[in-house]
Amino acid sequence: MKAGFYPKMAIGGMRKNGRLYVPYMITCILMVAMFYILHFLGFSGVMRGMAGGGTATDMVALGSYIMAIFATIFLFYTQSTLVKGRKKEFGLYSILGMNKRNIGKIIFWETAITGIVSIVVGLLTGIGLSKLAELGFTKLIAVPTRYEFSVSGSSVVTTLILFTVIFFFIYLNTIRQVRFANPIQLINAGKAGEKPPKANWVVGILGLVILGAGYVLALKIEQPLSALLWFFVAVILIIIGTYLCLVAGSVILCKLLQKNKNFYYKTNHFVSVSSMAYRMKRNGASLASICILITMILVTLSSTTSLYTGAEQCLNAHYPNEIGAFACKYGYDDNLPSQGERLDEILIATSEENGATVTNNCTYFVYSISGYFENDRLEVNLNSLTNMAFIDYDKVAQIQFIDDDDYNRTFGHSVKVNPGEAILGTAKKIDIGNEVTIGEVTFKITERFDDKVSEIDSTAGAASPTIYMIVDDVDAVAQKYIQYEDYNGEPMLAWFWYCRFDTGLDVDGQIKLAETLSEKIKEELQGKGFSNYYCESHEAERGDFISTFGGLFFLGILLSIIFLVSCVVIIYYKQISEGFEDQARFGIMQKVGMNGDEIKKSVNSQMLTVFMIPVIFACVHLVVVLPIVNKLLMLFGLFNFGLLLICAGVCVLVCGLFYALIYKVTSNAYYKIVS
Amino acid sequence: MSLLEAKNIKKVYKTRFGGASVEALKNVSFTVEKGEYVAIMGESGSGKTTLLNILAALDKATEGTVILDGMDLTKVKDKDVAKFRRDNLGYVFQDFNLLDTFTLEDNIYLPLVLAGKKHAEMKERLDKLAPSLGITDLLKKYPYEVSGGQKQRAAVARALITNPRIILADEPTGALDSKSSDELLSLFKKVNQMGQTILMVTHSTKAASNASRVLFIKDGVIFHQIYKGESTDRQMYQKISDTLTLLAQGGDK
Repeated sequence: MKAGFYPKMAIGGMRKNGRLYVPYMITCILMVAMFYILHFLGFSGVMRGMAGGGTATDMVALGSYIMAIFATIFLFYTQSTLVKGRKKEFGLYSILGMNKRNIGKIIFWETAITGIVSIVVGLLTGIGLSKLAELGFTKLIAVPTRYEFSVSGSSVVTTLILFTVIFFFIYLNTIRQVRFANPIQLINAGKAGEKPPKANWVVGILGLVILGAGYVLALKIEQPLSALLWFFVAVILIIIGTYLCLVAGSVILCKLLQKNKNFYYKTNHFVSVSSMAYRMKRNGASLASICILITMILVTLSSTTSLYTGAEQCLNAHYPNEIGAFACKYGYDDNLPSQGERLDEILIATSEENGATVTNNCTYFVYSISGYFENDRLEVNLNSLTNMAFIDYDKVAQIQFIDDDDYNRTFGHSVKVNPGEAILGTAKKIDIGNEVTIGEVTFKITERFDDKVSEIDSTAGAASPTIYMIVDDVDAVAQKYIQYEDYNGEPMLAWFWYCRFDTGLDVDGQIKLAETLSEKIKEELQGKGFSNYYCESHEAERGDFISTFGGLFFLGILLSIIFLVSCVVIIYYKQISEGFEDQARFGIMQKVGMNGDEIKKSVNSQMLTVFMIPVIFACVHLVVVLPIVNKLLMLFGLFNFGLLLICAGVCVLVCGLFYALIYKVTSNAYYKIVS
Repeated sequence: MSLLEAKNIKKVYKTRFGGASVEALKNVSFTVEKGEYVAIMGESGSGKTTLLNILAALDKATEGTVILDGMDLTKVKDKDVAKFRRDNLGYVFQDFNLLDTFTLEDNIYLPLVLAGKKHAEMKERLDKLAPSLGITDLLKKYPYEVSGGQKQRAAVARALITNPRIILADEPTGALDSKSSDELLSLFKKVNQMGQTILMVTHSTKAASNASRVLFIKDGVIFHQIYKGESTDRQMYQKISDTLTLLAQGGDK
C-alpha cells in the first residue's frame, strides 16, 4: 500500500467526525495545559524561596497528582464514547476488506495524531498561561511577584511522559474495543440497546438505601477527627447511591408516571416521559457523572472560598492577641507556678523595654491529662486501654485543670470552688453527668461554663475534645496524677503555660518583638526539662494562613475549571448522540401531525428535566455534605457556618448560571441535528 | 362535491445552486369521491410519492390547488398544517414509522394525544378498532417485538383512530412479505367497505387491483385511469397489467 495511506485515512476519519473530535482534542489540550501549570507551580521551584510560598506550593503539587488521576480517568471515558460513535465506520472498513491489523494502524495514527497535537498545543498553552497562573497564585497567597518569564524543563518532561503513557493506554483500550467485535457487531453497534428498559426495583431501592445511608452518615458525624475517615465512606456511599438511583430509580419513576394515564397521555408529557424512560438507563450513568462533577465543583469552591475569605477570622481565633507565648513541661514540679510568674515578668519587662505598652495581658497555667473518656470517667491508665478491642477516637479527651484563683484573676470572673468539686466547661457536645471521675478521683460538678470556654481558647471546638475543669487547688489535684505514665515512660501529666497580650506596636515591631521574646524564653527555660516553648506574633502568622488558604483557593479554582470543562464535554456528547437518535423520531412525529412548535416544546421540557436532575441532586448532596464540610473547616480553625452558607449559595448561583449557558449552547447543537 | 380535488398541480425541484430544475409533476388534476378506494400507480421516479406528499400537506406544490372537503390545503397556514393533518388525514407509510420508544398502543394513541384527547376516549376508540385489525393482543408490545405485518396493522390503526376524512397510504405493502401483504390489502378493503376513503400509492399490481379505481402516472402527468366497476380482482389485475405493459412500451393510449 502507498506510504502515508494510514495517516491519511486517520486524518480523514477525524475530520469527518469533527463534531466529536474537536471537543475531545480541546479537552486533551486543556488537561495537558492544566497539568503543566500545576506541575510548574508545584515542583519547578519558581515558588520556592518566597516567604510563605512553601505550604501553598505543596498544596498545588498535591493538586497536580489529582489532576493526573482525573485526566487519566476522564480521557479514557471520553475516548470510549468516541469509539462507540465510530464503530460503524470501522465495521464498514472491515467489510470493505480491511483486517484488524489495518484498522489497528488507522487507530494508531488517530491516537498518535491526537496525542501529538494535544501534547504540543497543550504544552504551548500551558507555558503561555503559566505566567498568568503564577501571577494569580502569588496574588492569592500574598507573596511578592516576580516579573521574569520562565519555562520549567522538568515540568515539560513530566507532562510529556505522563500524557504519552495515557495516550498509549488509550490506544490499547481502543484496539481492545474494536478487536473483539466482528464487522456485523460493529456496524450494528449504533443500534444496540434498542430494548426499552425494564424498571429494576431491586437496584432502585438499593440505590435509595445506599444514598440514604450516605446521607445519614454524613449528617451524623460529630467529631471532625473521626469525620475524615467517615467523610470518605459517606462520599463513596453517596456516589454509588447516585449512580444506582439515576440508572434505575429514574426508570422506575418514569414507569410510574406512565402508569398514571391522566398524566401520561397529555401532549406535553407523552413524548418526553416515554423517551426519558427509554434513554434513562443508558444515560443514567452520564447524568450521575455530571451530578458528581457538579457536587465536586460546589463543595470544592464553597469550602475553599469560605476558607480564603475567612482567613483573617481564622487567624484571630488562633492568635487572639498580638503576642502569644507558650511553654510545656511533663510531670509535676513544685516550682512550676513560680516559673510561670518569672516568665510572665520577663516577657512584660522585655516588651516594655522594646517600647511596647502591654495591654489585655492574659496569663495562666493549667495541668493537663489525656485519656479515654467514657460514662463520665476518664481512664488514664494506659494498661487498661491496651486491652480494649476497639478504641473510639472521638472519646479520647484532654482534661485541663485550672485553679479557680488563676481563672478569676485572668478572665475577670468570681467563681468559688470547694475541695472535691469542680466547674466544668467544654466546647464539644459531650454528655457529662453531675459527677466526673478522672483517674481515681471523683469530682462533683457544681456548675458548667461551656459558653465561656472560648475565653480560654477560641479554637477549643476544633480538634480532639478538651474539657476544662476549674478546681479549688490545682497543685493538690495535679499531685494525684503523678504516677501515670505513657508508653514511653513519660509522665501523663503535663503543665501548660500560656501568656498573651497586645503591644500597640506596628507590624514590624510586633514581629521583631516576638523574635526577641522567643530568645528570652529560650534563655530562661533551656536545660530545665521543658519539652516545648515558643513565642509567636499574630502578624508573623498571617502570611502562613493566607498562603495556606490562598493555595487551597487557587487549587479549588483550577480544579473546578477542569471539572466544569469535563462536565461540558459529557453534556455535549450526550446531546450530540441523542440528537442523532432523535432525528428520525421527530421526523415521524412531524408526519403524524406534530408541528415545529410542539416538537420544540417537547424537546425543551424533556431536556430541561434531564438537565435539572443532576443539578437538583447536586444541590441536595451539597446541603447534606455542608455540615461535615463545616466541621472539616473547623480543623483549619474556621468557625463560621454563615460564611460557608453564603459561599455555597454564591457558588450554586455562579455554577447554575454557567450550567444554564452550557445548556443553551448544547441544546442548540441538538436542535441543529434534529431539525 | 368531491372529497378531494387536485387541480393543475405542478412541482418543480430546483438544484441547490439554482441551476437545472426538475419537473416532478407537470400538470396533475384528479378528484376522489367520498368512499372511494383509489390507487395511484407508476414507476419509480414517476412522481407518485411527490404527489402523495403534496396531498398530505407534507410538501408544497409549486402551482395548483388541493381541496379537501371544501378546504384549500395550499391556503392552510404553516402553523396549522400539523393540526390539519392530524385532524383530517391518516397516513400509512411503507416503513411503518412507528416510534420505538412507545408500545404499539402508545404509538396508536400518538395523534390523539397530540390532539389533546382524554385517555378514556382514546381507549374507547381503540377498543372498537383493535379487534377488526387483529392487534388486541399486541398492544402492550414494542415495535421491535412484533412482525412487519403486525407493525403495519398498528400503523393502520394509528391512521384510522382519528377518524380521518381520507387515508393516504404510501406503498403500504412495500416492506411486507406476500402473506402479510394479502392480509393488509383485505384489511384496506374491509375498511373501505365501512365507508373510509383511501388513496394509495403503489407499484404493486396486486395491491392496485384491490382498488375501485387506478390512476397511472408517468413523467409527471396522469396518463390513464381505469375503473374496476363490476370486475373481479383477477380481471382488474389483468387490466392493470395490460395498461402497465402499454406504459412501459411507451405507446399511445
